[in-house]
Amino acid sequence: MKKWNNANLIIFTFSILLGIIIAIQFKQNISYIAPVTLSSIQATRNEINALNKEIEELNAMLKDRQAKIEMLESIASGDENIIDILQSELERNKLIAGFKKVEGPGIVIKMEDNLSEDAFGQEYDLDIIHDADVLRIINDLRAAGAEAISINEQRVLSISEIKCGGPIIRINGRSIATPFYIKAIGDPKLLSAAVNAPNTYGYALKYIDQLNIETSIEESITIPGYMGSASFRYAKPIKEGD
Amino acid sequence: MKVKSGQIAITVVSILLGIILAIQFKTVNSTVGEGVLPVQRAQQLAVDLKKAQEERDAAIKALNEAENKIKQYEKGEADNNIYVENLYRDLEKYRILAGYVDLEGPGIVLEIHEPPADVQFGIEYSIVDDLDLILQTISVLNAAQAEAISINDQRYTAYTEIERAGNHIEVNGVSISSPIVIRAIGDPETLESALSIKRGIIWTLRYYDYNVYLSKEKNIRIPKYRKLIEFVYSQPVEDEVN
Repeated sequence: MKKWNNANLIIFTFSILLGIIIAIQFKQNISYIAPVTLSSIQATRNEINALNKEIEELNAMLKDRQAKIEMLESIASGDENIIDILQSELERNKLIAGFKKVEGPGIVIKMEDNLSEDAFGQEYDLDIIHDADVLRIINDLRAAGAEAISINEQRVLSISEIKCGGPIIRINGRSIATPFYIKAIGDPKLLSAAVNAPNTYGYALKYIDQLNIETSIEESITIPGYMGSASFRYAKPIKEGD
Repeated sequence: MKVKSGQIAITVVSILLGIILAIQFKTVNSTVGEGVLPVQRAQQLAVDLKKAQEERDAAIKALNEAENKIKQYEKGEADNNIYVENLYRDLEKYRILAGYVDLEGPGIVLEIHEPPADVQFGIEYSIVDDLDLILQTISVLNAAQAEAISINDQRYTAYTEIERAGNHIEVNGVSISSPIVIRAIGDPETLESALSIKRGIIWTLRYYDYNVYLSKEKNIRIPKYRKLIEFVYSQPVEDEVN
């Protein structure tokens, strides 16, 4: 073997030195060097944006409630009547809870199974509309700011189930069959985009799964109120001071 | 002194390294911001995030105080008059239905944790890619007559959208992250068996390797909806006998 020369020795020493220095560096600044990636910065930025939007919403609600307090306070001076206030508040909450028939501009979506003989799927399962498809469409409509949604004249609320039951879909405890007519009131352009724009779920259902989906924008749509009765057997309002 | 071929190689590699480092710094600077180290930027963002969170908490607190005040006023008036009392009780019912009241009661808690990373094939996926499973879970809970549902402490209402935003989820416009915790008030037995039926939701989630924990609980708290809903497009139609 060749004799160790000077250069080899120098490189060897410096390598060891470099190793020690790096090790010390890591040990010292372990919390400071917390991995910062560009994507984590972007994620934090998104979170801040979401929070700011939430704060805006909260402030809007706070303003509304403060107006209400002022109204209630003026009862004492005789300007307002508690019955009128409660009545109008009741009407408003009924409307928001979905117990009132409403009308307004929006879209009607007709969803039908793929009826052609040379259907898309190897299995017939792929040619029919499932509860998950309807759920996705409704979720997209809500994201587009739909104010009221119905499927075959059944109002869709937070307590509405949409569930496959063999050849039919059950909603609000009732059975409905294809074709499904989903009506939504809101900004017609946004609602239409939510199901027709490329890369949406509705678009995929139409062009990839080749289900029959037709949307039409309408000036005036009427959506019925929720018809079932809602009672609470298990849920109780939380008392103050808990 | 004669130049050895090894020295030439080291020189070339060093120059290359320098160029690569320079390119990297330029790229980072143009994406993150001129003259700002990503670490500093991240710290700044973390401070902003904390500030936004505090602001949000303050807004929630102010809102709760205002709502308690309203409740006191309304209740105070309701005690004097039987008609007002009935009106108030009706109002409270529709407020619950609209999601504007904190609720508690027996029910279930479902936790969905991300699947462990696949070491063998390196396939990674997360619940963000399977939002329809969350939608279906909610539909099943509703079919089992859940009275109120929340996802990571966001009340599920008729206006709630569950949306993908980058690599996290937004519910009611608030960003949430894994694990997903779904709470539902209702008959615990019914809710549990509806979810854990063979080939049901839990089976499906476990099939896709999610870590799922389901537990029945005696007392579950579900927070109220904190967004003001005001109809812009919908008008109530008064032709029903209600």
